[in-house]
Amino acid sequence: MAAADVRDMLDLPAEGQPRPHKKHKVVEKRPEGITRELYALLGERAPPIAINENKYKGRPKWMNKLRVRPWRMTPFTNGARSDDLVLNHWQRKHESNRPPAPEGSQMDVDEKKETTEGEQEEAPKPLEQEYNFAKYNIKARLPQKYSDEVYNRHLQNNEWTREETDYLMELVHDYDLRWVVIADRYEYQPRVDSEADANALVPAKHYRTMEQMKARYYYIAATMLAMEHPPSEMSEAEFDLHEKMLKFDPDRERDRKELAALQLNRNAEEVHEEAMLLEELKRITSNEQNFITERRELYSRLEVPISVGNTTVYQSSQGLSQLLQTLLQADKSKKRRSILGPEGAVASPAGQTPTTANPHSRGETPSTNPAAANKKGSTASVPAAREAQPIRTLSAAEESRYGVQHHDRVTAGVQFRSDRAQKLTQAKSNVQTLKLAGALAELEIPVRLFMPTERVCKEFERLIQSVNLLLDARKVAEKVEGEIRVLEAAKAEREKKSQPDASGHPEVKTEAEDGTGVLQSTAADGDANAGQGDAETKEDRNHKRSASVLSGTSDKSSKRQRR
Amino acid sequence: MNPSNPPQAAEYGGDEVSAIVLDPGYSTTRAGFAGEDAPKSLIPTYYGKYNADGQEKYIYGDDIFVTPRPGLSTYNPIGKDGIVEDWDMAEKVWEYSFTSRLTGAKPGNPFQNGLNDIPAEELPTEMEVETEEKPLADSPLLMTEPGWNPAKAREKTIEIAMEKWGTPAFYLARNGVLAAFASGKASALVVDIGASNISITPVHDGMILKRGVQHSPLGGDYISSQIRALFKKNSPQPITITPHYLISSKTAVEAGQEPQARYKTFAADKAPDASYRALLEERTIGEFKECVVQVWPGPNKLSNNGPNGIPNEEAARASPGRPFEFPDGYNQIFGVDRFRVVESLFDAKAAIPDPDSPFPAPTPAQTLPELIKASLSGVDVDIRPHLLSNVVVTGASSLLYGFTDRLNQELMAQFPGPRVRISAPGNTAERRFGSWIGGSILASLGTFHQMWISKKEYEEHGANIVEKRCK
Repeated sequence: MAAADVRDMLDLPAEGQPRPHKKHKVVEKRPEGITRELYALLGERAPPIAINENKYKGRPKWMNKLRVRPWRMTPFTNGARSDDLVLNHWQRKHESNRPPAPEGSQMDVDEKKETTEGEQEEAPKPLEQEYNFAKYNIKARLPQKYSDEVYNRHLQNNEWTREETDYLMELVHDYDLRWVVIADRYEYQPRVDSEADANALVPAKHYRTMEQMKARYYYIAATMLAMEHPPSEMSEAEFDLHEKMLKFDPDRERDRKELAALQLNRNAEEVHEEAMLLEELKRITSNEQNFITERRELYSRLEVPISVGNTTVYQSSQGLSQLLQTLLQADKSKKRRSILGPEGAVASPAGQTPTTANPHSRGETPSTNPAAANKKGSTASVPAAREAQPIRTLSAAEESRYGVQHHDRVTAGVQFRSDRAQKLTQAKSNVQTLKLAGALAELEIPVRLFMPTERVCKEFERLIQSVNLLLDARKVAEKVEGEIRVLEAAKAEREKKSQPDASGHPEVKTEAEDGTGVLQSTAADGDANAGQGDAETKEDRNHKRSASVLSGTSDKSSKRQRR
Repeated sequence: MNPSNPPQAAEYGGDEVSAIVLDPGYSTTRAGFAGEDAPKSLIPTYYGKYNADGQEKYIYGDDIFVTPRPGLSTYNPIGKDGIVEDWDMAEKVWEYSFTSRLTGAKPGNPFQNGLNDIPAEELPTEMEVETEEKPLADSPLLMTEPGWNPAKAREKTIEIAMEKWGTPAFYLARNGVLAAFASGKASALVVDIGASNISITPVHDGMILKRGVQHSPLGGDYISSQIRALFKKNSPQPITITPHYLISSKTAVEAGQEPQARYKTFAADKAPDASYRALLEERTIGEFKECVVQVWPGPNKLSNNGPNGIPNEEAARASPGRPFEFPDGYNQIFGVDRFRVVESLFDAKAAIPDPDSPFPAPTPAQTLPELIKASLSGVDVDIRPHLLSNVVVTGASSLLYGFTDRLNQELMAQFPGPRVRISAPGNTAERRFGSWIGGSILASLGTFHQMWISKKEYEEHGANIVEKRCK
């Protein structure tokens, strides 16, 4: 029996204290240099002094037999430098004139060493070898230098002089496109050309923003790129780059930076508020996730075919324990905790069949808050234990919002609201049921409600009631109509008898039996003998209306007659 | 690991060319070989000057603290703003810093060292006059400079290095950048609390952003002047600092009692100069800073209320005081006052007024939070959050107890949005020699060797090349 079962029986909370960890005994290692007997005398706690002395571990013995490989201060030049500055660093001496290896037992050792050494010595070749770090000397890829002609034809700009553009390109080259640094160091002094400018003590200084510089540079770079390869011949990467550079929008960039500055300079309250909102958002999204999974779970449960097998198998204790085992197996194979919590994982042995084994799924209905689950007394324990909220009184609006209900009398056991709703569609007679279904189909309402909330169920109940009412009314109306027809036929008979010279007597009789044909035939009659005309038809209608009124009052009696 | 095998160069990118790193500061000058973890040579930048036998003599290094020579006066070749003023003496002090410990004295002329004395008649007639070897002839030199060093001073520096010291290769790096490198960052906001200056240097990709460089004189010397002002106003009696060299003997006294000591006296013509005494007093104050002075850790200023409504001063008063004994035996327990002397670094209004102090009362713009704010507003908005999450604290005065806590609090209060992260090495040496260590790392990198300004380039382009190359 699982611990969960015991907890369940004793009404203990589902999650008890975690089981205390098993003490794993720490076996201290006996330090070196102390005998086992002495160490045993020390007891469990070793004194806080280090017993093992730090011995100097020299080179391993076999290394003493190796030859010392000397190091030498060697000069080198750096290929990344334009001048040939000679610096010195320590390098392992390159041995070409190696003395012969010693004979004897060290032969094999030496051979091994020689092979490894041989590999190492392949690598450093003094002087003619290129400097190791020269390869890291990389520059950013920059557009080609423009010529005067190109500049005059393509790159003219009212805001930028040729000199300033040159200055910008030089800075870009010097600082490898680090715009932050370029904007920081940008100090262009326009040359004083005319006398008037030269007389001014302080030359008018104008600042360039980083966006202006970027816009100018990207324009130049894009133009140069397009001149090198026309856009139609560009590779994909080049084309992307070209597009990106052409589409640089300094105003937008400036706006973005202003926003970024605003974002940076928020005060503490704003930051706090944002943190709160983010927290809330996180909660909402996680709730939504839960909602979706639980809903899927619920649907999958609803779609389980209703068990039709009899329950006699489970009435013996043996059968029950077997059922328990199978359920446990099923739960284990699911590999995750059922949403029902620990007491749901094991079908409680209270004699419930699997079809009704999930009363709590209703309580997890995500359409309402967990508070809504309190509406059913039997399900209250799960969310209450989880939430452990203090009880608070709700206003009427809140109650309706959370779906809190108060029942005068709660029926025992658990039932689905959707079941109850569905029960309404089952009338006493099959015919009536079919009719109800027909009416619902006409209204495009599914027999099984998609979302059987309390309100929907109520509405559904009202709908079914009114449909029933209407169906009754229709039935009555049909009956009354039939009576009318009978009576009219009788009347026609009587009239015929009073007019023996009327032609087509037998036909009329057959038509009168047909019922629906009566009015038409009388109308045809009316048309045929124009002498009677409108008056007669009007009389006919009046007659009919009075008949229906009559039948309305006497429908009970007619029903009785019919039975 | 086999000690006989070198680590692969590619592992750490190192390639040592026995370069010398020289980090001249206002208070101390640091020098050492690149690739080592601390400067081998640490000397005060102050030098002493006195007259003996009718000629001027100079004392460099720690020797100036030792002997109170008659008429000994001390000077500092570097101005209050961290820029060299006296180039001749700066050169000599710097040269002393590396010749005394690193390159060593060159072996003298064997004919003159007395070992090879030969009778006068056998003296060879034609004596070879050795060309005087320059002190740095075989070591590249990396020097540091503050971020606001003017171009003229930079050119003068390379001139000295190339022409007077004869270094084969030279580079001039900003100490802010190097402090960032020492913390392993290429982009950082470097807060350097030095002796004469506090400076904020934004560094982006290993280059300083000049418009963001801020500095103000509220450094260690300013704190010393605040401490002197505090001593003057001390409540039982004003405290006068008597340096050790004036104390002959002392007896222990109770806290707050008059000192009982016998003093040394110097005759008027034998006494050292007042500047010497001031320098030695500064050493005592330095000890006081290390032992007693504490920065109010925040949150909020010392004069404000704490988060729970209690005035911070009350809370500071409640913390136990710290005792300090002066060289003459006078000792006292310092309570809340020990917070006050540094509070003006963060709150200009909290400065202790002292009319005799060489420092004018600080303005709010000179305080640390305002400097950082001004510095950040000088750089592009896109990198500000990154800088704030990489604040590097360096400089010996930043070792004041509780300094980084307070700085963190101030920054968090000022910038609640972005993440503020201060990286301050706990190791004292790393904090004191931050920029030297960064220089040591830089100059021992294999990729750096293409950046050196070689002698040839210097001769070709002149001193102006330093502006082009050391950006």
